[in-house]
Amino acid sequence: MADSYSKILKDGLLSQNPIYRQVLGICSALAVTNLLTNTLFMCFGVTFAAALTNFTVSLLRNHIPKRIRMIVQVIIIATYVMMIDILIKAVAPDIHRFIGPYVGLIITNCIIMGRAEAFASQNKPIPSLMDGLACGLGYSSVLIAIAVIREIMGFGTLMGFALPARDLWWHQWTIMVMPPGAFFMLAIITWFARAKLVKEEDA
Amino acid sequence: MNKKSPSYILLFMAAICIVCGTGVAIVNYATQGLLKKNAALHRNRVLCHAFQLKVDGTSAEAYQQAVEANLQASLIQDGSSQRQMYRQITPGHPSIGFEFSGMGFWDRITGILVLTPNLQDVLNIQFLEQKETPGLGARIEEPWFTDQFKGLKIDWDAPEGKFIVVGADSNPDALNRVDAITGATQTSMALMQFMNAELARIRNLDLDEQKTKENGEQE
Repeated sequence: MADSYSKILKDGLLSQNPIYRQVLGICSALAVTNLLTNTLFMCFGVTFAAALTNFTVSLLRNHIPKRIRMIVQVIIIATYVMMIDILIKAVAPDIHRFIGPYVGLIITNCIIMGRAEAFASQNKPIPSLMDGLACGLGYSSVLIAIAVIREIMGFGTLMGFALPARDLWWHQWTIMVMPPGAFFMLAIITWFARAKLVKEEDA
Repeated sequence: MNKKSPSYILLFMAAICIVCGTGVAIVNYATQGLLKKNAALHRNRVLCHAFQLKVDGTSAEAYQQAVEANLQASLIQDGSSQRQMYRQITPGHPSIGFEFSGMGFWDRITGILVLTPNLQDVLNIQFLEQKETPGLGARIEEPWFTDQFKGLKIDWDAPEGKFIVVGADSNPDALNRVDAITGATQTSMALMQFMNAELARIRNLDLDEQKTKENGEQE
């Protein structure tokens, strides 16, 4: 069992990483990665929603009528996303003001729906929870890598803190703050990950 | 019960909707107090920044006290609706603030515009709500952008829509012009458009009558 959990984790993080292997959840990867703090909250939201949606769908898998399974999955996802949205608004209102629109869009994130349909609807609750968690962490790892590079290059800051003496040695790249910066970084990280981290036979 | 039967499907959908709806309602209810507190703190903080009030500390109470001690809030008739207005009552700091609102690139932007009592100069601008693109249009909240408005002259003689200019202008040194945000041209243009529309409405407000009313209430 432990082996199967570690395989689920490895799949989510590396060999079946939702961003660079499955190319899912790209919209938010591009939209919220210009500031690391915003990215962390988005990652928390997606991981939380993916894990709990998988768990719930798996718990109900023998009771959900096949014909309406997609609608039920969307309702479950929307419920968790609305809860996350309310919680972020209550706990971190300043962050919510920036990423609020994107938190709502987690409902349409292909990763969550994809894993609920492909994994949770056919597996037991705990492995499904692990799968959702692994996919969320895999998604988070790529987003955080992109956000660190974009924030440093685009603003000369990291989590809002200015780099030491940045005006002396760094000129901010505006393009890294803009959408093309996210495209460039995503392409570079995808290339690097596929070339160096993932062996084709793992996939 | 047969899982394919319409009655099972209907019952299942009803049950899942009730459970999920209840879950969201519980979370919303549990955080209601916090959400209200956050909203009040945010408004007071924005007002303090807009009127550049001295605040003793960073707590919600400190901001509340600063607002209560220095500002007089009132609603003024603006056509068929009412507009929130603030007068600074701190001795030696006459200013008047208006809540403004308009469509940005993605959603409605609201804020506080602080002017001199004769409505000739902008003293400050701060935003209450905006949902522009993070890192781009959302930078309207950053000090380097809002600071440009401090001391801005409103050109009431200019054609409507050009009382203040955000972005490029035939005269780059114009006293009523501020720089737009690189990469957020649409937000900058939307801001200029609705700010000018709001200024036109503010010019038509009967502020003298409002002042008389406020004095009467005080007496």
